[in-house]
Amino acid sequence: MKKNLLFKAISLIVIASFALAACGAPAVVATEAPIADVPAATEAPAVEAPAATEAPAMEDVSIRWRTRPDNQEEIDVYGKISTELDAELNGVTLTYEPGGTEGANYQDQLRSEVAAGTAPDVFWIPGTDVADFATRGLILNAADLAAATDTFSVDDFYAGPMFHMTYNPETGASGADSGALWGIPRDVSTFALYLNMDLINEAGAPDPRELAKEGKWDWAAFLDVAQKTRALGTDIYGYGGSAWWGPNGVWVNAAGGNFFNADRSACALNTPEALEGLTFQKSLYADYDVAVPYGEDPEPVFRAGNVAMFQNGRWATPGIRTVDFTWDVVELPNGPSGTAGNWLFWGAYVINANTEHPAEAWALVQALTTAKTQGEIAALGANIPSRVSQEALDAFLTFTPPMNNQAFLNGIAADANPTAEGPLWAGSWPEFDKVTGPAIQGVLTGATTVEDFGATICDEADKVFVK
Amino acid sequence: MTIHSQIDSRTNLILKVSIVWRGVFALLSAAGAIFLWFGALLPEAPLWQKVLITAVLAIASVFSAIGAVQISRRNHSGRMISLALDYLAFVTCIVIALNTGEVFIGIDALAETFTSGLPYLGIVALGYFLSVMDEYFPQKQLGAETSLKVTSRWVMLGGFVLFLLQVGAIKGILYFLGKLAQPLGLASVAGIAIFGFFLWAIGRSESAQALHVKTNHEQILSGWLFLSPNLLGFLIFFAGPLVLSFYFSFTDSDAINTPNWVGFANYAKILNVRFAMLSSPTQLAKEVVDIKIYDEVGRFIFGNSGILFAAADKFFWLALRNTLTFGLFAVPLSVIPALILSNVLNSKLPGMKFYRAIYFMPSIAAVVGISLVWQWLYNATIGYINYFITLGIEFWNNLFNLAVVDPKIQWVSDEKTALFAVIIIAAWQTMGFNTVLFLAGLQNIPGELYEAATVDGAGPWDKFWSITLPMLAPTTFYVVSTTTIQAMQVFEHVFILMNPPEGPNNSTITLVLYLYRSGFQNFKQGYASAIAWVLFIVIFGLTLVQFQQQRKSSIYES
Repeated sequence: MKKNLLFKAISLIVIASFALAACGAPAVVATEAPIADVPAATEAPAVEAPAATEAPAMEDVSIRWRTRPDNQEEIDVYGKISTELDAELNGVTLTYEPGGTEGANYQDQLRSEVAAGTAPDVFWIPGTDVADFATRGLILNAADLAAATDTFSVDDFYAGPMFHMTYNPETGASGADSGALWGIPRDVSTFALYLNMDLINEAGAPDPRELAKEGKWDWAAFLDVAQKTRALGTDIYGYGGSAWWGPNGVWVNAAGGNFFNADRSACALNTPEALEGLTFQKSLYADYDVAVPYGEDPEPVFRAGNVAMFQNGRWATPGIRTVDFTWDVVELPNGPSGTAGNWLFWGAYVINANTEHPAEAWALVQALTTAKTQGEIAALGANIPSRVSQEALDAFLTFTPPMNNQAFLNGIAADANPTAEGPLWAGSWPEFDKVTGPAIQGVLTGATTVEDFGATICDEADKVFVK
Repeated sequence: MTIHSQIDSRTNLILKVSIVWRGVFALLSAAGAIFLWFGALLPEAPLWQKVLITAVLAIASVFSAIGAVQISRRNHSGRMISLALDYLAFVTCIVIALNTGEVFIGIDALAETFTSGLPYLGIVALGYFLSVMDEYFPQKQLGAETSLKVTSRWVMLGGFVLFLLQVGAIKGILYFLGKLAQPLGLASVAGIAIFGFFLWAIGRSESAQALHVKTNHEQILSGWLFLSPNLLGFLIFFAGPLVLSFYFSFTDSDAINTPNWVGFANYAKILNVRFAMLSSPTQLAKEVVDIKIYDEVGRFIFGNSGILFAAADKFFWLALRNTLTFGLFAVPLSVIPALILSNVLNSKLPGMKFYRAIYFMPSIAAVVGISLVWQWLYNATIGYINYFITLGIEFWNNLFNLAVVDPKIQWVSDEKTALFAVIIIAAWQTMGFNTVLFLAGLQNIPGELYEAATVDGAGPWDKFWSITLPMLAPTTFYVVSTTTIQAMQVFEHVFILMNPPEGPNNSTITLVLYLYRSGFQNFKQGYASAIAWVLFIVIFGLTLVQFQQQRKSSIYES
């Protein structure tokens, strides 16, 4: 009897303790005492540090934050940064969550958590999602917090992303005085062509980097290199690009076209310029047969040494660094418009509209976007700092390989006129992509002609805009 | 002397208090329902929540009032009602308390600290080992505990305590109590105490006796009590969401903001289709239908004319087409080979158990993992499938001096083959499980039937056709119907294998994928719910047809 009672009691204690341990505080241990107010300056880009919270809090405020890493190395770096900032931010205890699982990608998981009310206080979203989150009231308008922060300036970041980050959907205004600030860009990126120099040399094709320096790197030169390398064998390809809106848009932009009209309120994929870009892109697959079949992932083929020019963003660099052939990068070739039509990709740290600690969350967002923090992350090779500063760019050039890091900077330079990735404030970007993506794929795989595409695409795509 | 007169004063008091309690409960429930609409109670709650809570409170109020009357009449039904209401309220209060204390969302924290406590679980294991060792000392006196036994118990206890300390049990308790110290948390704790007290009070055997409870009443109550965890789980996690999704299908819910009632608008959009005659096969859709509303889904061409099929939501119809096509091929491909394979594996040849395990393996493998592996296999340029096809063609070309062209199949990037690539994976993965089901069915067929057939001179084919197949009819029906339902819900394979999941030119968009995209990526939960219900109707219809066919053809029915 006594024995039974003892074990019953133990069982109850164990069960209760498990349940209660489950609701324990986050695993990240708070620092014993707040240390410095601001991050220390480094040899990396010198930027003013974010303002710390007004006064030391009596008790640490717990802030969860999340950003999408591309690999374990980035997870480790973000975790390390979280620990550092935890020590630096006064009265704040941070918990970093990588987000995303094998079966649920980052955005899907985040959306579900936002709907369930369990999303972190601060999280990263891609630039195309900002309007969707902002207009639904899911992210905090930090304009007032920013106005009260002397060290923050909208002009410290690339103008393209900041246009959208400061867009006020109620007034249509954008800029520092628009009354809207949806977050701060985490980083920027752009496309370049990753080159397999062994294949290019073997084919006797001109070096694209030299052509770019001489200002002769255009579509014709690109096609020439692609054809010469393709001639090396049936399993060798001159060019490889992935199947999504980014690579498609480059050709459209470079021809002087665009996905949207000037104020992004209607589809413009049926303009002659856009169709010219699409026609050239299609010719790479159909007429000249120089490209990895559209829809096949070109990255493993490139890494296997079978693609001469692989179009991808800076985020692909860590993976490419493991290949065992000679490689480098070059900017995208100029199209008929005189520019490469590149994108300025970006994503931003935003604040959960339901956070209980907006001031602390804002301090974290600033801390995550200092030059020092961005420098630490950019050193991995996957991103370019979103702060506009010569120091930041100089530091980026040292993150080799590739040797020709300048190609990425050329892609986002003002004179290259990159198109900033951005949301549709007058419509739904996911819906637009849902309509146009498969239609472009139909053209590139030969199921539809460019003419038929041009005749029908905007009738369908215009439905996603709010009239 | 009547039973009533045997009631002791304590029980009498309890019953009187219970009557008052039931009255108070009824009044509070009714007041809650009224305040929900006319007071400040849950002002932000959406309509569906208000309706649901009102219904629950109204039912509780009515039953509580009935319970009060029945208890006052010393009727056992009063006890039943009282126990049921208090039990449900008690469980609800526990859930609210746990939720207020953030137990449910704190499971991750335990997962993070659990591993740090594992060494201390080793101490527990050591204690258990010591207690087992005790069994090897037979010289102990019967009924007496050896010092080893006592030691082992304390070691286990100590290990557990250290483990709980290490995983943060103390911190957890403090955090839980801190979170609980707010109005809702305190109210739920009070609720637990009050409902717990009345559960005990009315559940006592003395109270039961006073209310003329018979043995069968207690048995019924025990039955429901044992059933309640599953029943509550079913109601909360299955039936509840089912009803809710039906409601959402009539709203513009985005899962975040308060949904607006839109009636049949979602269903109307799904089912809004047009057929139009084409004067030529290449005539543009906008010339024959209102392109501001409709998009072309497909066209049926005959001669120099044709019929255009357009829909307000073309993606739904493309998804339906792909889903049905998938089912049409995936079901036979995962059932017929499974039937053949099960007959082979049912033989008494040596090593059959090994092969059974091998064929079953794909069924237990994670879909994500195998889809990624197949993604590599399917790669058109460096994938193994095309590699072996190329090798084979080269071999035959060299051997017979042929000029067969290597097709270099673009498995996942060509709209003609993409869905077929998904079908192959699904069939490959499902076949093993179906084989096991068929094997079970085969082993239930009496051997005498085959012996008799052998005596009658039947060959293997005759036996298979005339005995095996008819006798397997119930298993076949089960396998076909479950595989069909599974096929109509295809999602993971497409989602992981294809990039983008919709595939080239929407060739692999399926209904579940489309509803997932709509609900979770485009914030259209209402519309996604409507798609889910249409899919339910499609699956229900197909299953119904299968049931009817089964009845017609089954030897058991006739």
